[in-house]
This record gives sequence, structure tokens and C-alpha cells, in this order.
Amino acid sequence: MAGLSSHMKRSRAGGFLRLSMSKQARDDLKGYLFVSPWIISLLVFTAYPMIASFYFAMTDYTILNPPRWVGLGNFEVMFTKDPLYWKSVANTAFYALLEVPLSLAVGLVLAMLLNQRIKGIGFYRTAYYLPGLMPAVASTLLWMVLLDPRLGLVNAALRGVGLPRLGWLRSAAWSKPALILMSLWGGSGGVMLIFLAALKEVPESLLEAAMIDGANAWQRFWRVTLPMITPTIFFNLIMGIIGSFQVFASAFIAGAAGGGSEAGPLNSLLVYMLHLYRNAFRYFNMGYASAMALAMFVVLIILSMALIRSSKYWVYYEVAGRR
Amino acid sequence: MSANNGVARSAVSRREFLQLAGLAGSAAVLAACGAPPTPAATEPPTEAAAPEAVTVSWWNQFSTPTCQEVFPRVIEEFEQTYPAVKVEYEISGGPPGGGDYIEVLLARIAAGNPPDTATLWSPPSQFGARGSLTAIDDMMANAKWAKPDAFYAGPLKSCQWQGKTFGLPASAGAGCIFINTAHFEEKGLSTKREDFPKTWDALKALSEKFVVWEDGELKHAGFIPWTQSWLKPVWSELNGGKLFDAEKVQYQIVSDQNTEWLEHWVKWLDEQYGGDIEQLNIYGTWGDVYPEAAFQLGQCSIEMSGSWACTDAAIPFEWEVMKFPSGPSGSKSVTGFWPNWWVMPKGVPHPNEAFLLCEWFATQGWVTWYKAVMDTPAWKNFPEGVLTQKLVDQAGLERAQEIHNFFAAYLEDTAGMWTSPIEDFASDTLNSSIDEVLHKVKLPVEALAEAQELCQAKLDEVLQGM
Repeated sequence: MAGLSSHMKRSRAGGFLRLSMSKQARDDLKGYLFVSPWIISLLVFTAYPMIASFYFAMTDYTILNPPRWVGLGNFEVMFTKDPLYWKSVANTAFYALLEVPLSLAVGLVLAMLLNQRIKGIGFYRTAYYLPGLMPAVASTLLWMVLLDPRLGLVNAALRGVGLPRLGWLRSAAWSKPALILMSLWGGSGGVMLIFLAALKEVPESLLEAAMIDGANAWQRFWRVTLPMITPTIFFNLIMGIIGSFQVFASAFIAGAAGGGSEAGPLNSLLVYMLHLYRNAFRYFNMGYASAMALAMFVVLIILSMALIRSSKYWVYYEVAGRR
Repeated sequence: MSANNGVARSAVSRREFLQLAGLAGSAAVLAACGAPPTPAATEPPTEAAAPEAVTVSWWNQFSTPTCQEVFPRVIEEFEQTYPAVKVEYEISGGPPGGGDYIEVLLARIAAGNPPDTATLWSPPSQFGARGSLTAIDDMMANAKWAKPDAFYAGPLKSCQWQGKTFGLPASAGAGCIFINTAHFEEKGLSTKREDFPKTWDALKALSEKFVVWEDGELKHAGFIPWTQSWLKPVWSELNGGKLFDAEKVQYQIVSDQNTEWLEHWVKWLDEQYGGDIEQLNIYGTWGDVYPEAAFQLGQCSIEMSGSWACTDAAIPFEWEVMKFPSGPSGSKSVTGFWPNWWVMPKGVPHPNEAFLLCEWFATQGWVTWYKAVMDTPAWKNFPEGVLTQKLVDQAGLERAQEIHNFFAAYLEDTAGMWTSPIEDFASDTLNSSIDEVLHKVKLPVEALAEAQELCQAKLDEVLQGM
């Protein structure tokens, strides 16, 4: 909008103040008008709720009554009095620490396998991507059947190879791995697609040159392909971390099936977002839930910034002058 | 030659068209965002108000085929009885327009444009205590059917907070024990209700008769008492204890009776089921009597559920219902109940008509529902002779009447339930505590002490904020 004012001239005509705009200013205005629906939507549906949430985080707010200012009271409860808060943090950290690297690895392996010119490759790419299109509720219910300890196919397969049956969602130790398994099945397709696009951008000439120099397949992958796709790894890593911190639907549905508490055996499926949801909509503690949301926001900002800073050491951008 | 080189100029150029479209789109977004919320109607009273049809909205979470078939009939009957009142509703499993039911309902109450009536599956005491529901005591006093003494005490108390009533219990699905009569007969055991164990120890001994282990795996269970978490208050009162005292507004989780209750369960787990709760849960899907659960699969002979399961669970074999036995420190059998609650949010535009609808569902309207599903009514003046048709078809008229009478009589002895303003928080906390005890992570006395502290602190915080 700054450019606009520098091109504006005031003139008087017939006693009325009249604004005449230069062509540049008019073009700028048109541009802003075209993006105005998006900007308004961003302000109304994203920025305003965020700012409101920051305010509610400092209040005792039940939704049903006006908010009452408590300052940092919610944070005090969160960090010192709520035993389930740290449980939810631990569960989410466990989930994220395993799910994100596995998701990247599986996505990359799938992308490499699907980056071939063979007949029917389109079918395989579609087949591996399709699970990602399944709604979370449906896929969780499907996996609950597959992971049934007594009748599920997964335990049947384990028994078939002589391994013991696992409790999966009915076990405190195996419920989170079960959740990760569900996530890998549903989420790897999207990661795979992005990696596939990146792999296609790796110049053939570099790979050919490496081959001529005697590099084997592993060396070509490690020394040429991997560095070339580090920007994509970086992107998937940040998106994966943000997504894993926000896991909710599968934990919410699967938790009820585990017996015991509604968040799995020994609250093993009480992830951060589930604890937040319960506080907001089950315990009428929207103020506290907003405080939890703010805390997560801060942590994610810090993590993202740390990753961005670290990227200069391991992310290679082909654009000249950018490393 | 013209400036545009002989090409005919259209009335509106493409650039101008796009400019106009952008302006129109922005204007539309601004208009949508700026639309004021529908104000709650507060029409001034008129001296000679002409009678006109009033439309009341009803929100619910029902979605099953039976609900979709039966509830429209209930509404139709209501509208025939009250021609001046029309009901706007849908049976889609959630609020109109979609979304999470409780989230949207809370948001609408907060925004001041709630539905006229709503059905809740968690107790009105929580909402009423926070001032989000309309108190209906005056309306009940003048009601045709839904007078205060027309309901069983326990279910009605679940709608009350500090002397005010904030909803009506349309149903009071009473809890009970189900037995597989064929399994009992195979073992030469009596299936008569009067012969069923009256104490926990006797029930445990009976359960042991059915437990079968083969090659280190549990093949068949007798009775597993901890599978239905909604019956926690019942188990506490069966042993002479209490979890929440509604009169004193105080949690009483820490008590010798409650400690004894949980110790009894741990002993049961150790003596009959190998002592490892997770391993036990691998062996079967214990809990309730519905398809795919161990009871229906023939893997368990004694189970718990509610009255609705008599028809809703479609149990494919002969069964009988029994009362809960009392614990070592208890003296009488009590049951639990799980109502469907009908409430009127605060600020509804048509409170009188909304109350008529709530009253209808809780009284006359429930007759239509009960003919389809055996969901024990909370209304004491329920007409005689009305039975669930499916049960009549399944078991015959006499037996259906007998089972109806069993549940109706049992409702006179209910445990105190659903009366806390922090019901969901307390329930989740207690579930976690019991889970820790069964996992042997904590002793009963430790787990109960922690639950007591958390629940009482939460209760104090909520009461302070009111």
C-alpha cells in the first residue's frame, strides 16, 4: 500500500477534494482488491481466532460464561499441577520422534522405488497414494480391526511367523507404535509424492557423471541424490513435525477401544491435542486449553526456527549464492 | 482508422469484467463476515396475540436406522397433540450443518442463538451448574405430565443442581447383569433370579466355575467386573461407599469401602485371570453384550449392560437379567442408569413450546420409542402394558412384561450418578485411577487418594468460578 500513496496526487475540482491515481497505483489497488477476499479470510478465520486464543489463555473461560482474567494461572496449573499435561507431552514427543523420521524414510524409499520407468508405474503410484485420501476416522476404524489382538490380521501374521501376539491398542507399550503404524500407512503417500517430484528434478547428468567416475548405486544415492533433495527433506521434516504434534483423530478414536481410560491403557494415547480437546470441550476449560495451544505454538516456533537455522549446514540449494 | 484497429470494442472489456468480479467478491465476503448474529427474539407481549404456529428446533446426536425410523413418529404425534407447535430437526448424528455436536452446541449457547431443545448424552448438571441451561422447575410444577414427582428420583437428580432442575430424563436405561442361560444349564446351575449370588464373594465363586484356561491362554471367562466404566458409582455403593455426595457437594473417593472394592477387583484379576490386565485384554473383547464382544461370541458367561441391550444388542441365545450383588461392606443391591437428557439452553426464543417438546419426549413420546427399543423410561407414570415389541416377539408377552417389571422396580434403588458439575472430568480421572490399579502401577489407596485430590480441587475451582 506504500506504493499507492507515493503515486497519489490531490487536486481540487469544483470545491471537492479529488484523488487521482497514477496507473501504477491503480494497478496496485486492483491487485489488493483481488487478494482482499483471501486477506479478509486470513484476518477473520486465522488471525482473529489466534489473537483471541492468546487472550483466552490468560483467562478462566468456560465458553458458557464471560472470560475472567487469571494472568499466568493457567500456565502455573499446566506446568505444576496437571499430571496429565506432562503425560500428554511425553506421549506426543514419543510419537513425533518415531513417526517423523520413519515417515520420511518410508516416503523416500517408496519414492525411489516408484521413480522408475516401468509399465504400470502410474498404477503403483496411485495405489501407494490412495491410503492418504482415506478420512482419518475410517482408516482408524479399519486399523482397529486389523490390530484386534485376538482376531486381527496383524497378530495372525505375527503368530504365523512364530512371534507372540501383541496387545496393540490394548497395551500401554504398543498403543503408540500402533498409532505410528496407522500414520505411516496413511501419511507416507503424501510424503512419497513430494519426494518423487524432487527426485525427478535431480539432474540425470550428475548421476551419469557419477556413474562414469565409478560410483555405485549407494554412492550415487548418498553423494548425489540425497544432497540434491535436501530442500525437500527439510520441507517434509518441518511439515512432519508440525503434523505429528497435532495428531488427534486417530488417538481420539483408537483410545476409546483400548479399555481402561478413554485415552488408551494407562493414558498411553493421551496425546497433546487430545488433552487439549478434552479440556476445551469436555471439562469446559477453554482458557486452559487456549494456554495449551499457546504453549504448543511457542514450542513449534522454536523448533521450526532451530531447524531453519540448522538448514544452512545440511540443506543444499542449487541456486547460485545460496547455501 | 479507429484506435482499436477495426476490431469492434465490447461494452465491458475483460479487464473491467475482472475488476468488477473482484469488487463483487470482496463485497460478498465483507457482507458475509459482517452479518450480525440472529438476535434472540424478545417480542414484547401483546394484549391480543393471535395464535400462530411456533417452530422449535431440536438438536440431537441420534443416527441409527431405528432412530431415523422412530423419532419422526414421536415428533409427528407431538405435532398432532400440539398443532400450534412445529419441530425443526434432523437425525444425522450431529448438529445441523455438521461438526462436533458439543462444540457447536456450546458455541451456539455462548453466541446467544441456541436451539430450543437439545438432547444430551452427558448430564445436564454440568451445563446447568455453569448457567447455560434454562431452569424448568416452574414449568414442571404446572406441567401436564412432567411434574417433579412423576420421575424416578435418581434420574431426576441427574438433571438438578443446587435445587434447580435443568432438564428432563427421557430414559433411565437401568444397568444389570446378563447371563447366558445355556452355559448355566450345562453346568447344572440355577438360572432363577432368586438363586443368583447376593454377594461379591459368591459371584466370584460362581465366575470361577466358568473360567477355562488352555495351554496358558484364557479360553473362557466367567465374570469380569471392571469392564463397564459407567457403572463405577454402582460398584462403590454396592460396597457401602460413595464417589460423590451431591448434598454436600463433595467427593468421597477416599474411603475404606472404595479401597476394599478395588482390592477385591485386583484379587479377582489375580485369582481368575492371571493377574495381567493387558494379557487378559488380548484374550478377548470383554465388556457389554453386543456383537463381537466376548459374551455374544460365547467366550464369557456373565456380563453387564443396560436395559436397552435386551433388544438393541440382538443377543442370539437365551439370556436372563440379574441384580448386582452387594460387596462385603454393602447391604443392598443398587443399579445404575444412563439417561438420554432433554434440555433447554439458556435464552431460547420459545421456552414454553420448547418445554412442551421436552415433556413429550420424557413422557408420552417415550411410549413410541419404548415400543421399538427397551430403553427403560424415567417416567414413573409410564402406561401399563406398553412393552418393546421386539422383546415380545423374541421372548413372549409374559416374559417381556416380567423383564419390564424387573427394570422398573430396580430403578427404585439407584446409585447416585451423574450429579456432579465436573462429571466428565471426574469420570475420566477415576477411569485412569482404576486403570492404574488394575495395571498394578498404583495401590488402590494411592490411586484413590490422587483421584480424590484432583477431583476435589477441580470441583473447588469450578465452584469458585460460579
